[in-house]
Amino acid sequence: MKGWTGNILRIDLTKKTYKKEHFTEEFARKWIGGRGFALKILWDELAPGVDPLGPDNKLLVVLGPIAGVPMPNSGKTVVAAKSPLTGTYADGNIGSHITIQLRKAGYDIMIFEGRSAKPEYVLVEDDTVTFHPADDLWGKGTFDTQKVLEDKYGKTAGILSIGQGGENKVLFAVVRSMEGRAGGRPGIGAVMGSKNLKAIVVKGTKEIPMADPKEMKARGVGDLKKVGAMDKTSKWSVQGTNAVLSWCNEMAALPVRNHRHSQSSEAWKLDGQRTSEARVATYGCPHCTMRCGIAILDKEGHESEIDYENVGMLGPNLEIYDMKQMASLNYMCDDFGIDTISTGGTLSWYADAIDQGATKGDFKFGDAERAKELTRMIALREGIGDLLADGSLKAAKKVGHHSEAYAIQCKGLELSAYNCKYVPGQALAFGTSAIGAHHKEAWIITYELKFSERGGYGRDKAQKVVDLQRIRSSIFESLPICRFPWIELGWDLKNYPEYYNIATGANWTLEDFLKTGDRIYALMKAYWCREHPDTDRTADYPPRVYFDPKIADKDGIIAGKHLEMDKYDELLSHYYDIRGWDKRGVPTRKTMVSVGLEKEADQLAKVCVVSDDCVPMGNRGV
Amino acid sequence: MKVRVRLIGRFTETLGFTEKDLSFRGPVTAAGLARRLCLDKVEHVATREGRPLADGDPLEDGDRVVVAPVFSGG
Repeated sequence: MKGWTGNILRIDLTKKTYKKEHFTEEFARKWIGGRGFALKILWDELAPGVDPLGPDNKLLVVLGPIAGVPMPNSGKTVVAAKSPLTGTYADGNIGSHITIQLRKAGYDIMIFEGRSAKPEYVLVEDDTVTFHPADDLWGKGTFDTQKVLEDKYGKTAGILSIGQGGENKVLFAVVRSMEGRAGGRPGIGAVMGSKNLKAIVVKGTKEIPMADPKEMKARGVGDLKKVGAMDKTSKWSVQGTNAVLSWCNEMAALPVRNHRHSQSSEAWKLDGQRTSEARVATYGCPHCTMRCGIAILDKEGHESEIDYENVGMLGPNLEIYDMKQMASLNYMCDDFGIDTISTGGTLSWYADAIDQGATKGDFKFGDAERAKELTRMIALREGIGDLLADGSLKAAKKVGHHSEAYAIQCKGLELSAYNCKYVPGQALAFGTSAIGAHHKEAWIITYELKFSERGGYGRDKAQKVVDLQRIRSSIFESLPICRFPWIELGWDLKNYPEYYNIATGANWTLEDFLKTGDRIYALMKAYWCREHPDTDRTADYPPRVYFDPKIADKDGIIAGKHLEMDKYDELLSHYYDIRGWDKRGVPTRKTMVSVGLEKEADQLAKVCVVSDDCVPMGNRGV
Repeated sequence: MKVRVRLIGRFTETLGFTEKDLSFRGPVTAAGLARRLCLDKVEHVATREGRPLADGDPLEDGDRVVVAPVFSGG
């Protein structure tokens, strides 16, 4: 086998044992790597209903056939598990030296099973695995943890760790690496914490197997230079991802005050120009050609590495416009190892719930000091933080008084920083994202504005969402590789099948990837259905508040505008029709068989009604 | 006539301003504005009052036009 190492490292934390296993080339070609591998393994190995925070859940660290070799932005690793936040398959990609080191150690996949009796970290050195007490690391933040382990094992060692958020099983705790990198929004850090696993360290010395190593090296060196030059010419990295903040504000797509408003006269204080001017350092992932990690100083003087999602959710969404205070919140989330987006979304839900009289409390929008205190309480599960640590949806269900209406989430995962109250296609993208509301699955706001009609619900928008989910699931989440050269600089998609072919000796086209993307998305949705057998189309709705005329903007360019339920339902039906899913949003047997999931269709049918085929649209209403 | 132009993201870096008035001697379209900004060969989105402008759309005195790179989502 070329491209893949073909090896799985399975580690039992309960028994302190490990073994090397092998996967077949057929498995590799069917699932590519990254998300594809993780999804199939978790489908096969986890029984339905398994407790996400129990020892039977499994934590996966997964790579793919071009991971770790010098190619444009190829330093990504996928971390995956069943999510404690959404109750279904979940993953995240994270830039890390572990991408290179794990491949050099001879593995594409690590599976962590069971639960250690005491806090530990695991060290992988080629074929040897050792288990180390982590009592002195437990209770430390991710910055200190990274530093201690780097001092011990070297700056290029592959290190993944959790902070206090993961230790305390905050349901949106993430996995962290290289100080500024994070992955696994739907609580992968909590799963790691539930296993008493503080960190994973990997060092490898082997060659990564490539079908054509000379061509891989030549192509990699050349393309790294080309993408780097494109970034330099375009000046994309000057403002990085936060360039989009002022555009979202101008287009009325910014989350302000828990999405109650979509524009703010104060947003300029946090825009890409301001954060770029405040920059004190720039960071990136391994093999990165367009480093997007802009570090600014927070109120306490820490370097805080920001991107748009952090700024949007911890800034305007909480009505905090003091850049240093916003940066402090971001730094705290990073150090505690909790997701900035869900922290922002949960805190804004809390402020809104108090404001609406659904609960009592002393937190108001704009109160940065209290927001910081609440962030600490979330990470440590102290006081009200214990409730908020479960995320906005679960917290709202406990609080009641209709406060679920203000939880801006889909499938339990808080929305990224795009207000979709009048962007129907992006609302569909969030609604149908199989891991919950995440921008990495599909983002079509520019498409809606430039090539469609903003307020329209045409089939073209459903098709665009499907197209992007196919591309992102198969290429970017499964190779895995960073999507920024493609989405931000226009680096041609056709490069990626070529990389894959050079690595594996295959002869794939883009169409092969898209077919695999359909397989992956069908199984991701099937996973949701297996865990939620009574599921229906409402699982794919965006936050209900977007349909409420009462929260439509009072002024500005979308004054009085909101989503319309009957039209959204029709758009969703178009999406299901394109996907070949039934009107509940369950993949049909015919669709699953057509993408090579016959066995999985049988398995799903044991717990959930699986239709044989779709009723054609037009004969079934919505 | 005067058109107020608001640039977004990397256009502010490459063109050296964020927002300013541009004067035109006669009628101008969205495509004409893009030419004036040397963005006619660069993929971009121009909007007025949040609505996208087609190349041939005429601009009016006092319009405020937002010109942004094509974002594809973080």
